[in-house]
Amino acid sequence: MLSRVADDLFWVARYVERGIAVSRLVDVTRHLELDAGTEDFWAPLVGAIDLAGDDVRFYLTSDTMNPDSLVSCVRAARTLSRGIREAMSSEMWEELNSLYGSLATPTIARPRGEAISFARLVREQLQSFQGLAESTLARDEPWHFLELGKFVERADDVARVLNRQSHLLAAGSHTKDPTGPDVVRWLAVLRTCGSAEAYARYYSLRVEPARLVEFLLLNPIFPQSVRFSLTGACLSLDAIAALRTAAGNEPGPAVRTLGRARAQVELTAIDEVFERGLEGFLSNIQQLIAQASEELSATYLRDEPVPGRLVGVARATMIMAAQQQQQ
Amino acid sequence: MTAGSRASVLPSYVPGEFWDEMFEAPGQVRPHYAELARRLTTLSSADVQKRQRAADLSFQAQGITFSVNQDPSGPEKTMPFDLVPRIVMAEEWKRIERGLEQRVRALNLFLHDIYHEQRILRTELIPAELVLGARGYRREFRTVDVPLGVYTHVVGSDLVRDGRGTWFVLEDNLRVPSGVSYVVENRRVLKRVWPQIFTDYRVRPVEGYPQDLLEVLRAVGPGSDDPTVVLLTPGVHNSAFFEHAFLAKSMGIDLVQGSDLFVDDAAVYMRTTRGRRRVDVIYRRVDDDFLDPLAFRADSLLGVPGLLATCRMGRVTIANAIGTGLADDKAIYAYVPTIIKYYLGEDEILPNVKTYVADDPTDRAYILEHIAELVVKSVNESGGYGMLIGPHAPKKDLDAYRTRVRDDPRGYIAQPTLALSRHPTWSVDHLEGRHVDLRPFILFGRDVKVTPGGLTRVALRSGSLVVNSSQGGGAKDTWVLEAEPC
Repeated sequence: MLSRVADDLFWVARYVERGIAVSRLVDVTRHLELDAGTEDFWAPLVGAIDLAGDDVRFYLTSDTMNPDSLVSCVRAARTLSRGIREAMSSEMWEELNSLYGSLATPTIARPRGEAISFARLVREQLQSFQGLAESTLARDEPWHFLELGKFVERADDVARVLNRQSHLLAAGSHTKDPTGPDVVRWLAVLRTCGSAEAYARYYSLRVEPARLVEFLLLNPIFPQSVRFSLTGACLSLDAIAALRTAAGNEPGPAVRTLGRARAQVELTAIDEVFERGLEGFLSNIQQLIAQASEELSATYLRDEPVPGRLVGVARATMIMAAQQQQQ
Repeated sequence: MTAGSRASVLPSYVPGEFWDEMFEAPGQVRPHYAELARRLTTLSSADVQKRQRAADLSFQAQGITFSVNQDPSGPEKTMPFDLVPRIVMAEEWKRIERGLEQRVRALNLFLHDIYHEQRILRTELIPAELVLGARGYRREFRTVDVPLGVYTHVVGSDLVRDGRGTWFVLEDNLRVPSGVSYVVENRRVLKRVWPQIFTDYRVRPVEGYPQDLLEVLRAVGPGSDDPTVVLLTPGVHNSAFFEHAFLAKSMGIDLVQGSDLFVDDAAVYMRTTRGRRRVDVIYRRVDDDFLDPLAFRADSLLGVPGLLATCRMGRVTIANAIGTGLADDKAIYAYVPTIIKYYLGEDEILPNVKTYVADDPTDRAYILEHIAELVVKSVNESGGYGMLIGPHAPKKDLDAYRTRVRDDPRGYIAQPTLALSRHPTWSVDHLEGRHVDLRPFILFGRDVKVTPGGLTRVALRSGSLVVNSSQGGGAKDTWVLEAEPC
């Protein structure tokens, strides 16, 4: 498979997943606003931007200057897909293309009052795209690059949402039950990650921050959790790396970096996470994901010469020599 | 056909003074169109409009679009599709097929000769400076042998009919002709939105084109029995990108851009996720000028450095070969009947349109004097650009073209304004005559194969003679019949 095509597939999947995440955010912020009427509830969800009310919605849904707005995500995914339509099924392409076509219609593109239904509509079609990938693609390289993009994006999105809330937990307040507004806030976090129902089933809706963080970060079987996502990403990357190894080439450093991120969420218990500091833990995960993404591009997508076995062995030899001198 | 059965959507159809593909005379349908006309009588205009909308939506949803003027930010358009198919009789098609095959074989012999011995230039038949001075001539390719002696693996020649229904070749496109994806897609869409009309006819399928093309490309690999074939595209911003993707997907080959390829040790490789992979045959949809920044335009980002040298060594096949533009130069076109006679010893089966070559002093004088009656064309441009239609042009354009022809005689030719044939075409709520041409596609590998049909382009504006999609042209499905209807 062409490296460029693999790169584009990876990013199509990321934009589609990001679009889904953004559409949930639109949904949640609007609900929060109608419930409580206080902006500072959802400001942390959106990130640090100086906007309010409809302007936030516009920023999240239709602002073409915002690279992460719904419209931007759909446009980016569709533009990339157009160049690699031979690598996906016609159904997948047509789903994305018709979604893009409907966004180009001015009445839909400016959904001031209709943000929720607009976001839902877009989300459904993006999810339908993922469903079509699932049912129309053979499990070979294109599929694995799509999976990799989807899961890397999801792990990153969820880690980011949690990280933005971690300041609430500062000063050890997470040990006691939250009161009043915080419940709303934590529920919003769950909804933003599309996890409210699953959490309710799991814990009968006792919204405790520690449980919630454990659920979103460490749950092994819920597909929106960081752990599940990193496991999925690693499985696909392993499959891709195996093909490359079979062709006599180095699998590259991304396999190790992503594996390290996965090990963090697989082998750490929730109390250890808080012991080490949630913010630091999440930042570390996000940083490893970013690094793996960069290494992935270098190895598979740009085919740059990366420090492979020769460099690795040479460097190991130098380190050994240095250590012997010290002794 | 009796007056009583006249089509409801054809209530007052006027064939006009042109050759009408469907009507012999007002109210009198040509025999091979009789069944189609009968179908049309059963339809209301609302019904046709409904099917038309279904067809338009289908093109839109599939993203069968082109961008105009290669403007990346500009809107993407679908090529307007007209529901009423054009029908070509089996016998008529056989003659066209033979004529096209003859032409393509002769042009390939000509190309081989020019890039080798140049025998024809030692005769008085064609001026040597016209050939060697052609912009499409690539002296870098002198003495280079191409597999099977084939230079033009894919040809799209433009055919037109005059007022008496005679078929002419208007031009040969020997470089990177496009449009074949529309041949296949128009058929698919018409079958979907109006399957009923197919039941009365035995129409030869066009679906096999991509497989035929793949066979040609595999036949010209440099040595290998199982060559790796790729399609080289300039990228998504190219107006024909849909077609590139369509063909690559149908053939199951990689659609590559220049940056996906590199040359190492006189071999071309593509960058894949598993490492480098050798490429044997490149079906390129990139013009000569942009293929190799080391050899041609240094500013080209679309090409592959070193590709030309690798090709010269016979280590990769480029289809169509480099330098074929020589033979579709519009001034050389005037000599194609001579070329056929010289190489094959035959008379041309499909005639040329009378052409005045401005480089020739006598012809030039004629052009300057009669410019208002002529179509003047730049020899190197296509797509309906660089063209003057004398009878429709304002005086200042006529003067401008007179100056151009005087200043650069090698750059221009002129032809009489053709009374292109017309075909009933849907216009809002009824049928009207619109001018059409036909671009068949000819494949040349071990054999010559003409795809049965081709792209019928139609000038949708009333009275317009310009069929190019970039200038308001549309398309029709083109049916070549297996046998004449009884």
